[in-house]
Amino acid sequence: MRVTQMMLANNTLRNVSKSYDKLGTYQQQLATGKKIHRPSEDPVVAMKGMHYRTSLTEIEQFQRNLSEAYTWMENSESALGHTTSVLQRARELVVQAKNGTLGPEDRQAIAREIEQLKKDLVQVANTKVAGKYIFNGTKIEQAPVTDGTPPTVNNNNDDFMVEVAKGVKLKINVTPNNVFNQGLFNTLQQIENELANPTGNLDNLLSQLDGHINDVLAERAELGARVNRLELVEQRLSEQQLIAKRMISDNEDADIEKIITELKSQESVHRAALSVGARIIQPTLVDFLR
Amino acid sequence: MLSTFHGLETVRRGMTAQQQALYVTGHNIANANTPGYSRQRVNFEQTPPYPFASKNRPVVPGQMGTGVEGGTVQRMREEFLDVQYRGENMKYGYWNTRAEALYKMEEIMNEPSDEGLAKTLDRFWQSLQDLAVNPSNSGARSVVRQRGMAVAETFHYLSSSLKSIRDDIKNELDVTVKAVNSLARQLNDLNKQISEVEVHGYLPNDLYDERNRLLDELSQYVNVKVTPVPSGGSALKIAEGRFTVELVDRTGSTVIGTLVDGRLGKVNEFQVTYQDNVAKTGPIVSFSLGDASFSTFERLKENGKVGALLYSYGYSEDGGTTTRGLYPEMLGDLNAMAKAFADQFNTVHSNGWSVAEIKNNATSPSTKPFFTYDPADPAGTLDIAQIIKDSLDNIAASASGQIGDGSNAQALAEVKNGMMNIAGNTTTIQNFYESLIGQMAVNAQEAKRLSQNSEVLRQSVDERRMAVSSVSLDEEMMNMMKFQHAYNASARMITMIDQMLDKIINNMGIVGR
Repeated sequence: MRVTQMMLANNTLRNVSKSYDKLGTYQQQLATGKKIHRPSEDPVVAMKGMHYRTSLTEIEQFQRNLSEAYTWMENSESALGHTTSVLQRARELVVQAKNGTLGPEDRQAIAREIEQLKKDLVQVANTKVAGKYIFNGTKIEQAPVTDGTPPTVNNNNDDFMVEVAKGVKLKINVTPNNVFNQGLFNTLQQIENELANPTGNLDNLLSQLDGHINDVLAERAELGARVNRLELVEQRLSEQQLIAKRMISDNEDADIEKIITELKSQESVHRAALSVGARIIQPTLVDFLR
Repeated sequence: MLSTFHGLETVRRGMTAQQQALYVTGHNIANANTPGYSRQRVNFEQTPPYPFASKNRPVVPGQMGTGVEGGTVQRMREEFLDVQYRGENMKYGYWNTRAEALYKMEEIMNEPSDEGLAKTLDRFWQSLQDLAVNPSNSGARSVVRQRGMAVAETFHYLSSSLKSIRDDIKNELDVTVKAVNSLARQLNDLNKQISEVEVHGYLPNDLYDERNRLLDELSQYVNVKVTPVPSGGSALKIAEGRFTVELVDRTGSTVIGTLVDGRLGKVNEFQVTYQDNVAKTGPIVSFSLGDASFSTFERLKENGKVGALLYSYGYSEDGGTTTRGLYPEMLGDLNAMAKAFADQFNTVHSNGWSVAEIKNNATSPSTKPFFTYDPADPAGTLDIAQIIKDSLDNIAASASGQIGDGSNAQALAEVKNGMMNIAGNTTTIQNFYESLIGQMAVNAQEAKRLSQNSEVLRQSVDERRMAVSSVSLDEEMMNMMKFQHAYNASARMITMIDQMLDKIINNMGIVGR
């Protein structure tokens, strides 16, 4: 085959420009840390990348939802804990009052304390977290209990649900009627009334009070079990987050060591191409004829 | 009996011919870097010997040679390689243009990234989740409204950017069509000039080169088939004649029509017709070559730059009802996606209770859109409904009529992952969009790869063509030496003959003088 100067020059130029193109790709990969910077470089990586990113966004959102769920549950739990001790104190007072040696003044004093405990429970039932009543189902903008003699309960018992994983919804409130029901406040009011009456009978009321204490304990146990479940979900979400991040990284991130090695070898190829280019533009016969 | 001066004439012819060859060598060197130049050579021919074979021939022992003459100046070129080059150049023109169109599309879609439509939809979904958890929080509502606007604006941006690139492609197509016609006219002019020279028995090498260069340029726009038509008159056998240039489909088997008629010296203009041909808008509905009009585009498929631009810009084979092509299809898919998403979202939104409805003690939730759009161009006109812009209280987060219930916000968030009918496919918006990007990426990858392949093939054909036609300075130097030595030797021969003649004229018959 006949080879001419023009062909050599064209080839040299083409090869050097190809080499620059490769150097440019490596530079891009190193500067961005990503394997690809447009979908056509690897359609599968691009599509997977979109999918994993969405998964990651979802997981992060569920984690945000979780923290809201924790706020509700922890506040509910501490409120129920407080309720238990208030009711225990009321029980102690009732047992003390049943002692026949107490005079009317003593019974009056106990009645005042019961009244205060009752008012305290009204406040607990109307607990607000971030401006929302947590013991009123989904009617979070209204107080469920109005103070009075006895206090009146007008509550909503819907579940307040939060999505904590794809398709998994968790109830984050306690059912208000299981704890702060009209019966509880009626019992306390009756205790107060019977104590005010020097001949009042407390026998029945004590067993009623015990029943309410049991209800609160049962609700606390149920809530505790749900908090445990929430913790499990949280653990799983953080594992999923880790996996999703690793998937994104495996899928898109450039292998820096590999690219630097390739860049180095491409550099030497480029130098070789340039030096060959310089050599190939040889003197012609013209230089030797005279 | 030979003439006394027979030898002088023989070597004079030698000198003239070598001189001519030296000048052609000079021409080659001068044009060593001229694009499209084919090296030329002088075809040396022996002049007829003396004497002729006839009855009244002089009696001499055998025929004596009478020297040389420069017959024709011919260019070194392989027509077959030109045909190959034009074929590869056509493919390169197609794939390279298509790759560029897809390259721009990829840049607009900008996926995967933290700024694309997928991310915007994810953010919208997030804001709805936040609202589901805090249904009474007006801050969460306001974020939903803003992110909803961001979704609408991203659709606008994609739609308007695709449209503006599509307009650029239209302009490029118009310019390309003009270039095809201008090349056709130039080829026709060259045909005329060439035949005027050829009939006198000359070879217009430089005009041939120019014609080949124009054909190379034309071949990147559309596939061509070239048939020579002899010029007649005293044209030499090796004369190339006038060229008839026909447009053919990508395989070369089906002829579309004649662009340049070598026999009649006539040009048939190539034109494309838009649906609205006055305003030049809408898809291309037909194309024509001279008087012949075509309303199907099969013959321009994968056919050079014209084919690539046409298939990128969009064409319609049924007068504008359905438009096919890269950009119109992408726009159509985005429209279908925007429409399906907005419709589904509005349905779910209407099923929920807004704060305003709860406050007004409405008996049941009423129809209230969240998104609005113009059905003619959903992606380009998608917007937040006026009632949502007016008041955040019109966002329906509740499914039960309680302010604290966020389950409708939950359902709104689920729209993104729910099955819906998009352009006849039952899929989720997320999957539909992913497959859209995937399809575009695969197309772009294919176009890029084939553009590189055809470039390599074109390059290799060009290399072979250059191996035949391009000027090698070393070779020209060798030729120069060869011709110079022959020239010198002829001159020396004259000196020798001069001495011979001197002998008989001046030194003979002087015995005893």
